Amino acid sequence: MGNEAIARGALEAGVRVAASYPGTPASEIGDTLASVAKQMGIHFEWSTNEKVAFEVAYGASMCGQRSLVSMKHVGLNVALDILEMAALRGVKGGLVFVSADDPSQHSSGQEQDQRWLAKQNCIPCLEPSDPQDAKDFTVVAYELSERHKLPVMLRTVTRLSHMRSGVNLGRLQKLDIEARFDFDQFSYTTAGFDKLFYGGEKAANEKIAAVADEMNGSLLNSLSMTGGERVGVIATGQTYNYVMDSLIRLGAKDKVAVLKLGTSNPLPAKLVSRLIKGVEKVLVTEEPDPFVELHVKALAKDVNPVVELLGRMSGALPTEGELSPLIVDAAIAKMLGEIPLPNLRQALEAEARDLLFGRMLTVCAGCPHRASIYALKRAVKTVKGDIHKVVVNGDIGCYGLTWAPPMSYEDTYFCMGASLGVSQGMSHVGVESIAWIGDGTFFHAAIPALINAVQTKTNIKVVVADNGVTAMTGFQPNPQSGVTAMGEPTKCISIEAIARAVGVEHIEAVDAYDLNATENAFKRMLEANGVAMVISRRVCATEAVRRMRPKRPSPYMVDESKCTGCKLCLSTFGCPGLNYDEAKKKASIDPTICMGCAVCAQVCPSGSISRRDD
Amino acid sequence: MTATRIVIAGVGGQGTLLATRLVAETALKEGLRVRIGETYGMSQRGGPVMGHIQIGEAYSPQIRPGDADAILGFELAEATRRGVTYLRDGGLSIVNRKRIPPVEVVSGMRKYPEEDELLGLLRRVAGRVFVIDATSLAEKAGDPIAANVVMLGALAASGVLPYAEESVVEVMSGSIPPRFLDLNMKAFRLGAEAFRES
Repeated sequence: MGNEAIARGALEAGVRVAASYPGTPASEIGDTLASVAKQMGIHFEWSTNEKVAFEVAYGASMCGQRSLVSMKHVGLNVALDILEMAALRGVKGGLVFVSADDPSQHSSGQEQDQRWLAKQNCIPCLEPSDPQDAKDFTVVAYELSERHKLPVMLRTVTRLSHMRSGVNLGRLQKLDIEARFDFDQFSYTTAGFDKLFYGGEKAANEKIAAVADEMNGSLLNSLSMTGGERVGVIATGQTYNYVMDSLIRLGAKDKVAVLKLGTSNPLPAKLVSRLIKGVEKVLVTEEPDPFVELHVKALAKDVNPVVELLGRMSGALPTEGELSPLIVDAAIAKMLGEIPLPNLRQALEAEARDLLFGRMLTVCAGCPHRASIYALKRAVKTVKGDIHKVVVNGDIGCYGLTWAPPMSYEDTYFCMGASLGVSQGMSHVGVESIAWIGDGTFFHAAIPALINAVQTKTNIKVVVADNGVTAMTGFQPNPQSGVTAMGEPTKCISIEAIARAVGVEHIEAVDAYDLNATENAFKRMLEANGVAMVISRRVCATEAVRRMRPKRPSPYMVDESKCTGCKLCLSTFGCPGLNYDEAKKKASIDPTICMGCAVCAQVCPSGSISRRDD
Repeated sequence: MTATRIVIAGVGGQGTLLATRLVAETALKEGLRVRIGETYGMSQRGGPVMGHIQIGEAYSPQIRPGDADAILGFELAEATRRGVTYLRDGGLSIVNRKRIPPVEVVSGMRKYPEEDELLGLLRRVAGRVFVIDATSLAEKAGDPIAANVVMLGALAASGVLPYAEESVVEVMSGSIPPRFLDLNMKAFRLGAEAFRES
């Protein structure tokens, strides 16, 4: 897997400290390192957030040690402050950071292309094409980082992060470098203000120019060109695979020059120039923004202004989203003056779409968040008379899926920790709201916003949907789990204690599976004065089942003699374990899906749901 | 151009990823070039899951529409959804007769289509549709959770893969934890036999 290959590459490069915050599609880099860190004698941690992770890595780097930070693309936004400083002040031990971008936002709120941040901060950006590249590029990235004293961005996309193929391994290595801080305050503090202010940017510009020179001869880029071709492709990162498959499909390997581009910042100007000077048309394939295309266009002005550049800016490729084999087939065929191969399945796909449902996202069977949101909806309806008297500001995590029917209760969903902040703005203009946030996200980014609410006397209501793990990304431990990423027992950090310490006076914790108790706690929260918080707590159902393996939870069943067929369990609660038999007009429960949480038994007005074993 | 292309489709939690990996691991053991791609997004949350496998001359794992030699469908609707897109004309589809209704169906917004309607669409592209009750066979092997390995057994027995059924068995012996091995071997054999008897 691409992500496992990156972890392997870091270990082959002798990484000493690695830190991450889980997020799809980056999580398996950290999962892999967590599973071997002890054995390899390195430090790995799931940090509180990406900024902390980056700082941890930079600290080790300043002491001459190689370090790794990995995160999903939007995590880099959180780490941007320290990233900029590391680029300007420079690194000592190699510092490689992975931005796992998500074109077409398979698992994200947006598809932001983080290569722009590499450009903005004079940072080399490497784009591997497959798992073998991912491992090899990681090793090269450390050498590059140390040679030029710059952090290096390893930029992946979902299709690479989750691509699997055979990888030839190198040797694992432990570097024997003494960890030492050189007491040079002029490098790292404002004591060197003049030097830094006038020299930091200049030094960074000079460094990246030196990297650019080196990239022309780097193995990360390769140009395949005989001189007889009239057209060419600049194939960036993972899109190289589509390009090569297209050339095989079209039988056009000899007709198209291909620059396999592994360094999108800085561009290998000489290689690119050689290509664009030698052909009439060049297609740039990249995901999702026209980042390379823009810079090639600038270069072409000097090198070959008449070359026809095709890509996302020219309209040859879609302006957003990931590419696909079919899209690339069509663009290359068109460039060659051939008729693109049609998608013969479009009509049949349309028929299937009419027949089939879309399979909407929802939370898992037995998920405590479904129970919490059900209770919250009832509490708001009772206290306020209408569920839309209050805005539900959601946050990032599984519970963010409660906008989906039939839960249908969440109005906003932005970025880590935003729910508490935007709720305060609404409060100042007289609009009532509830911040609906998970435990991991609370630790990650919500604590400053909670302090802000208390300090400014903004009486927001906060529900912490606490399932004990960072569930959406693969059940990584978080600060209250009582265990580190490397499996060491540690202190459990209490959400209640934090809230109390910052001055929240109304705090209650309830079992999310107890619907009545949870609903009543929510009612008290809505009626409380001041900042009020309810922690709706129950371990993630999927995690609970993982812990009891190989035993399975004992499922519930519907007593058909009692079921009135009212469908309330389905239309208001809608757990995926429930079903309805149209012929019998009775609800039923799929025992292979049921997690045994017993919440639907509390929803059922006729008392027809009970445990199978009883 | 020689490649074997397989699409594996199902719903999060059905073990499609394990089946995908076993197919690929066996290819690697046989010295073949293989690429697999997994889309699972938020699959634990009832979402569709899909694996693409290309064995042979291919750079990307992504299979073009109408290009797959076989589709292994772990769920009735998902088998049809992916089959009509990816299966080549005359390709093989192995379909588990299991319905996992999505939230739209559970909450009464949509109806789950009839099996005949779904398979009818699939038959318009497939050369053969083999319907198997993998979940019941897995129950017979000891645990319904092993339906994924029943499906794998059927695929291995179909002859679509460029290696022998026994090669998969060897890889399973080496990669499945001992306490689950017996269950999985039984499930695999039941799937393979079901295909042969059909």
